[in-house]
Amino acid sequence: MSIEVKKLSFSYGKVKALDDVSLGLGDGAVGLLGPNGAGKSTLLRILLGFLVPASGEGTVLGYDIRRDQAKIRRLVGYMPEDDCFIAGMDAVTFTSYFGELSGMPREEAMKRAHEVLFYVGLEEARYRLLDTYSAGMKQRLKMAQALVHDPKLLFLDEPTANLDPQGRNEVLELIADIASHKDIRVLLSSHILADIETLCSSVVILNKGRLAAEGRLEDLKATDVSLYELKIKGDGEAFRKDLEALKCRVEETEDKVIKVYMPADRNRMEIFRAAARTGVQIRFFTKSQTSLEDLFAELVGVD
Amino acid sequence: MATVREKGYYHWEGRLTESRFPWWPITRTGILLAFKKRGFRFLFAGAFLPAVVFLAGIYISERLEDFKFMVRGSERLININPAYFKTYLANDGILFLMIMVLVLGCAGLISDDLKHNSLQIYFSRPLRKQDYLLGKMAVVFFFILIVTLIPGLLLFVFKLVFAGSFKFFLDYPWLILSVIGYSLILTLFFAFYTLLLSSLSKNTRYVMILLFMIYIFSDILYGILNGIFRTPLMALFSIKANLQQVAAFVFAEKLPHAVPVFWSFLVLAAVCGLSALVLHRKIRGVEVIR
Repeated sequence: MSIEVKKLSFSYGKVKALDDVSLGLGDGAVGLLGPNGAGKSTLLRILLGFLVPASGEGTVLGYDIRRDQAKIRRLVGYMPEDDCFIAGMDAVTFTSYFGELSGMPREEAMKRAHEVLFYVGLEEARYRLLDTYSAGMKQRLKMAQALVHDPKLLFLDEPTANLDPQGRNEVLELIADIASHKDIRVLLSSHILADIETLCSSVVILNKGRLAAEGRLEDLKATDVSLYELKIKGDGEAFRKDLEALKCRVEETEDKVIKVYMPADRNRMEIFRAAARTGVQIRFFTKSQTSLEDLFAELVGVD
Repeated sequence: MATVREKGYYHWEGRLTESRFPWWPITRTGILLAFKKRGFRFLFAGAFLPAVVFLAGIYISERLEDFKFMVRGSERLININPAYFKTYLANDGILFLMIMVLVLGCAGLISDDLKHNSLQIYFSRPLRKQDYLLGKMAVVFFFILIVTLIPGLLLFVFKLVFAGSFKFFLDYPWLILSVIGYSLILTLFFAFYTLLLSSLSKNTRYVMILLFMIYIFSDILYGILNGIFRTPLMALFSIKANLQQVAAFVFAEKLPHAVPVFWSFLVLAAVCGLSALVLHRKIRGVEVIR
């Protein structure tokens, strides 16, 4: 296990940010998912030792999160969500500076800074002042400083936030490359479901500070609900109520497609019977695959 | 921008080590960044001007016969004794120059990190809060000691060299300790003073204004209150007066204000204590809003 926590709790004053969270994360890329305020960043900050948990215990790469913070930080690379840089510095100086602070000899840190800046695609801009960097370049720079000391585990907090589609794809490509080939375990915190679905083999879902789900993405997606998509003509409201009485969850998309999440032990014919009862015509009907989005909506209760 | 992974990723084959001085890269970087600031080099060079003038004073004092035409009736001004060294280290001009060095070179030490959210990257490294603060403080130590301690000791050495004897040293064997002691007090106070104000705002310009104005206005306040209440106790409101009071004590000179020197020490220590408290609360890897 790269990360293991047991009964972890933390509060910001009266607000419980993490409530009795226990989880164990293995190798590869793991997605940390949850709506805003779910406790994702708090969990990362506790694992890095920025915050001290009120109760509970945990280990990162076998080191205790309360006692061995320095050892953990030596082995972990952290890419924070916010823009972080030092005014008046160029990328090479910045990256080598943080390499040195991680414990690298100065010359090695400088050499390594050039390598990781090439890797993240900032080689041409590496002598430019950071103050002049675009949002995408700052994102790559944060990745470079997280990689400079060759960490065993990478914490990425909303790595694609504030990026245009091209920049987002490039950063995702980088993360995928790191996670799949480089023996670096990745914990990716994001509220963008597509990013997690693209990059991660397993996922942890937090909601209101509690663990909502944890496991391999494939297993979690094979939930005990069947998803049907249909288009109807007639009184949709009565039809919805009838389906909800059958313990189905019903959603309507912007293009008027009705998604029906039906418990797996129920027969899909019941949808047709409900339509007949409420005088609704079904014009389109198909069984659909549950996505991470569906799982997320079901667990967290948001669309 | 080049394509991602154009050069590929390599694992680093070296070994991360635990540094005995983890704060040193912070200090080195802080000093280099200060020298990159516009006008700082010029100002910093200017901060040595008083040392040059005082050195000339020592030279003239040893060659009074040659310079009699210049120092007519002003011999007492170049009477080299502990008061001369105290004057060098605590005169209004050098203190003002030190403040200006701090304003231009050190105001952003913490405020820039707060503004650009870089504290979290610092503390994602195996770095303790005290390493970070020591690294930042050492930047102030460097700039202040280099215009106080180094010239102070050099003036002493040059006095011996120009005199060609150790008589001055034998007359005042404790003077070197006074120079070192007062330089350290001055440096420690200015380090806490600068970091306190630098941690109060994310805007370095505000910090620059605060550094300058608090120093100046504390002295103006002393003048006003002294005018109203006619008591030397009001000197305790002035940073400059307190520093000069302590200087007089350290160099065994007559105190400039009729206030027990203990109170001045207490005022300076209170500023340092307040600074330590604020820094302890404000410097952390993550801003916690409760």
